[in-house]
Amino acid sequence: MMNVESNEPGDALQTPRGKHGRAPDPLRVGGWMPMREYPEDEAVDFVIVGTGAGGGTLACKLAEAGFSVVGMEAGAWWRPLEEFASDETHQAKLYWTDERLCDGADPLKLGSNNSGKAVGGSTVHFAMVSLRFRPEWFKCRSLLGYGADWPLDWREMWRYYREVEQALKISGPVTYPWGPPRPRYPYRAHEVNAAGWVLARACEAMGIAWTETPLATLSAPRGLAHPCVYRGFCVVGCATNAKQSALITWIPRAVKAGAEIRDLAMVGRIEVDDAGRATGVHYQREGRWRFQRARNVVVAGYAIETPRLLFNSANSRWPDGLANGSGLVGKNLMVQTNQGVFGVMEDEIRWYKGPPSLTLTEHWNYTDAGKDFFGGYAFMAQGPLPQAWASTQACNRGLWGETLKREMAQYNHQAGLKIVGETLPQERNCVTLADEKDQYGLPIARVTHSLCDNDKALVKHSIDFMSASLDAIGARDIWAEADDSAHLNGTARMGDDPATSVVDADCRSWDIPNLWICDGSVFPTVGGVNPSLTIQAIACRTGDRIRQLAARGEL
Amino acid sequence: MPERFPGYDVMARRDTASWNDATRKAIDARLATRDSPEFFNPEEWRTLDAICERIVPQASGRMRVPTAALVDRKLAEDRRDGYRDARLPPLREAWRRGLAALEAAAQVRAGAKFHALTASAQDTLLRDMQHGRLDGEAWGDMPAELFFKERVMHDILAAYYSHPESWNEIGFGGPAGPRGYVRMYFNRRDPWEAAEAKPGRADKARKTNQHAGSLEQKVLTRMNADDRG
Amino acid sequence: MSAKPQSGGVVLGMLALAAGVTALSRRRCSRARGAGRRTPQPTVTAARRLNRAAGLIATSTLLDSGVEHYRGSFHNKAMLTPLVASALTFAVSVHGTGDDRPVAHRIRDPIYAGAALTGLVGTFFHLYNVGKRPGGFSWQNLFYGSPLGAPSALALSGLLGYYSERLRGSGAGKAPRVFGLRAGRALAALTAMGLAATAAEAGLLHFRGAYHDPFMYVPVTVPPIAAVLLVETAATHPHKPRGLTRWWLRLTALVGFVGAGFHIFGVHRDMGGWHNWRQNVLNGPPIPAPPSFTGLALAGLAALGLIEEHPNA
Repeated sequence: MMNVESNEPGDALQTPRGKHGRAPDPLRVGGWMPMREYPEDEAVDFVIVGTGAGGGTLACKLAEAGFSVVGMEAGAWWRPLEEFASDETHQAKLYWTDERLCDGADPLKLGSNNSGKAVGGSTVHFAMVSLRFRPEWFKCRSLLGYGADWPLDWREMWRYYREVEQALKISGPVTYPWGPPRPRYPYRAHEVNAAGWVLARACEAMGIAWTETPLATLSAPRGLAHPCVYRGFCVVGCATNAKQSALITWIPRAVKAGAEIRDLAMVGRIEVDDAGRATGVHYQREGRWRFQRARNVVVAGYAIETPRLLFNSANSRWPDGLANGSGLVGKNLMVQTNQGVFGVMEDEIRWYKGPPSLTLTEHWNYTDAGKDFFGGYAFMAQGPLPQAWASTQACNRGLWGETLKREMAQYNHQAGLKIVGETLPQERNCVTLADEKDQYGLPIARVTHSLCDNDKALVKHSIDFMSASLDAIGARDIWAEADDSAHLNGTARMGDDPATSVVDADCRSWDIPNLWICDGSVFPTVGGVNPSLTIQAIACRTGDRIRQLAARGEL
Repeated sequence: MPERFPGYDVMARRDTASWNDATRKAIDARLATRDSPEFFNPEEWRTLDAICERIVPQASGRMRVPTAALVDRKLAEDRRDGYRDARLPPLREAWRRGLAALEAAAQVRAGAKFHALTASAQDTLLRDMQHGRLDGEAWGDMPAELFFKERVMHDILAAYYSHPESWNEIGFGGPAGPRGYVRMYFNRRDPWEAAEAKPGRADKARKTNQHAGSLEQKVLTRMNADDRG
Repeated sequence: MSAKPQSGGVVLGMLALAAGVTALSRRRCSRARGAGRRTPQPTVTAARRLNRAAGLIATSTLLDSGVEHYRGSFHNKAMLTPLVASALTFAVSVHGTGDDRPVAHRIRDPIYAGAALTGLVGTFFHLYNVGKRPGGFSWQNLFYGSPLGAPSALALSGLLGYYSERLRGSGAGKAPRVFGLRAGRALAALTAMGLAATAAEAGLLHFRGAYHDPFMYVPVTVPPIAAVLLVETAATHPHKPRGLTRWWLRLTALVGFVGAGFHIFGVHRDMGGWHNWRQNVLNGPPIPAPPSFTGLALAGLAALGLIEEHPNA
């Protein structure tokens, strides 16, 4: 049925597609869109390293503001309609699977869990949950007594949240139960699946509010993008383009506005001159190292690759890595705890159908009473695919053999609730360089992570609450997951003081005025919601701020 | 254990709107995996195969999943996960060392090869590995329990549950796209999903599962014929 | 996507349009033919128009409830009832459309009454189903639970048919009355209510679709205006010119058919197009729904005809 053009280049993982003045159009089978190209020896206004939620969004905003922009992406430029299979194993092609070492008391799991390597970054395989921060979190040190204050005002952020929600046509409830009033979501909420109704019943049994999850997947057509067909493979990549990833939204807009995106382009080092200004980036593409000159460099590689690149760019003037005058680059790595409670229902649930988290509650994000810990958590309905589910059973319960197979046979009756829980910033949780090298010859990252007592108290509270709620609706064989995490933030935090932060509110590094960091790394705290909407809102704000600074001659 | 989804076969939908070309290509390649090693040597292969049979035992009368071969291909291609507990060596080395250490333990305990042990003796060894009760020089600095969790369990389960036969066992809908699902509420089944056998009504489920597949195939054969014409 | 579903969509869209045009032109033909043979009683003419309107709405209901209850896997056997009722209503409406006797028919009559009752009971069923879902009468359940407005289409079809039978029996020569009410005005009011309710349902479902296409505003603007014009014409007759009302009702009739065409296109543009019909016919825009507007517009025209013949009706 597919009408593939004969001039389709080969494997996206082998041959760059963003070349020869054109780029793949992900919305048309075999389609191309024209793309401007910039010479390497002339400085572009901005080179952006990474094209995910931070870099992809910023590339769009800057290109639309009239700047010359080159986006560098280590991963491939996929065509979802033709190249995404309904298969967990095959879709590993979307993940950052280069080696990283994990240690600490609670070593992290990366790869499929939280790290993308593709044009569009992790948004190509994220779960699409698009939530706003609770307003108080932007001043959680002053107002709630923990973590660090952000140098941003929540009212301004809420305007940028709105901009992103419109840009992604977020499907959400007509009215949102928590926080200050917000405008209606651009698209209506999706039909809730049985797994989502389990959460609804559980919340009603506990007397707390629930709602449909605001999701970056279409509940109605949008241009050439199809509405969701509820195939349930969201977290291994959406083959219908219902998911409003950066690949489908910001990147085509950026290219249309004159940005160049270079796929299969791995940046290994940022060059800085004697005057202390960045001059461009060294990157590897098609087997050789190249250099792109730039007036500004933006690092948007997410909370592991961003500090790794800053470390790998160390020179005699900055032996501890670029932008690291505070010594905080790589520190305060924050995940979100992602523990779950599972049970077996009498009803058939078939949780593989539809987006995995169609309902949620933010009750424990907005309620402070009755907590013996700082921070909050949301919890959401679940729908893991077979491999992920087997892995959850095996890692947490140590099941194998006939016991495991008996448990797996209950797959269609299984339901679960899972938190996105806040963790506190700790300097001991950090990204450093290891001795091992990757395929580009660059030192790989070592990721050290341990939960603190507060994090554990939050997890315990959530597990007790969710277990009670599943019990209240008649689930049986209830058990709790001990160990899981999601998302990566905080290794280049923003702030008002160069001594205690890496970048300012505009994501500009304190040490090198034309070096910017624009991704989840800049979060001083993480809150209890998925970070993608906030990353994109910050990128939109940064784009606007750069335009204003340029107009005033302050770049 | 009686079959929960009698007669259900994910592959019956291979040629329907539930699969796209990319999926067909990926699954066809997996199903064509030859049940012999490309990475492991014959001795390692026998050990691995025996481990797989204990971790995910296979029912007779169903298509056999070449679990060990699927694990072997991961190593042959050195497909890593993007993270590694710092206490473990890289993927290939971890497996080589772990299998050798298990064989060493089998030798010490029973004076025999692991694959030649009884199922219950194999289980005892595996359980000891799981709980860190195996030691010996062969492990080096690699903790046995970590090897069990991060390699044995992780890689073997990922291999087994990547195979359509495993999806049949658990009633998973399998590949879905372009066609996804319509009926989302409790106890609602789309006609192209697995029917579950209720106690004493296995025949009804079998009939539903076989009928759903064959009707779909008939319609498709006609549609494909139309397409060609 | 292949070219085949695309052409399929176009062909189906044109079929729907052709059906619409045929329905409208047949209406004119039959009137001309009738006038040539003998002058039928105006009440019978109106009654036959109502039969036709009822039949069209019943067709829409038959297909729509068929599709929707198939989605619901007929998990409750009662879900077959509206199919039977609307199929029978359709059949007797065809019969009634061809029948120019000035008396109520003893089979049509109870079937129409039964359809009206079925619609009423169905509404209660749907209310109960929505109410018992978690969240109760929330937007989620109004969007995706049993559609509250749908059974009333069957009720409306039955009522219009039942009304047509009363009209036949109301005798000639004097201003027709049904249940003691002036027939033209009562029918106009009933039709206007139906138009408003159907527009409200379209409004709800198009809100669910976030009005992603500007044409989605048409069914929430054109039919309500038709309803207002109809009521106003009925209330102010004979001092008001009726041309605008007539043409607006005809426009509304057209909207129903064009709407079906749009919905056919909508199914085609969803993922997998017609190749994925088993999903898209159910999850895409409901193709049989918009022609309800055509049926109601025809009923409105019948009311207008009655009022014209009997300024006092």
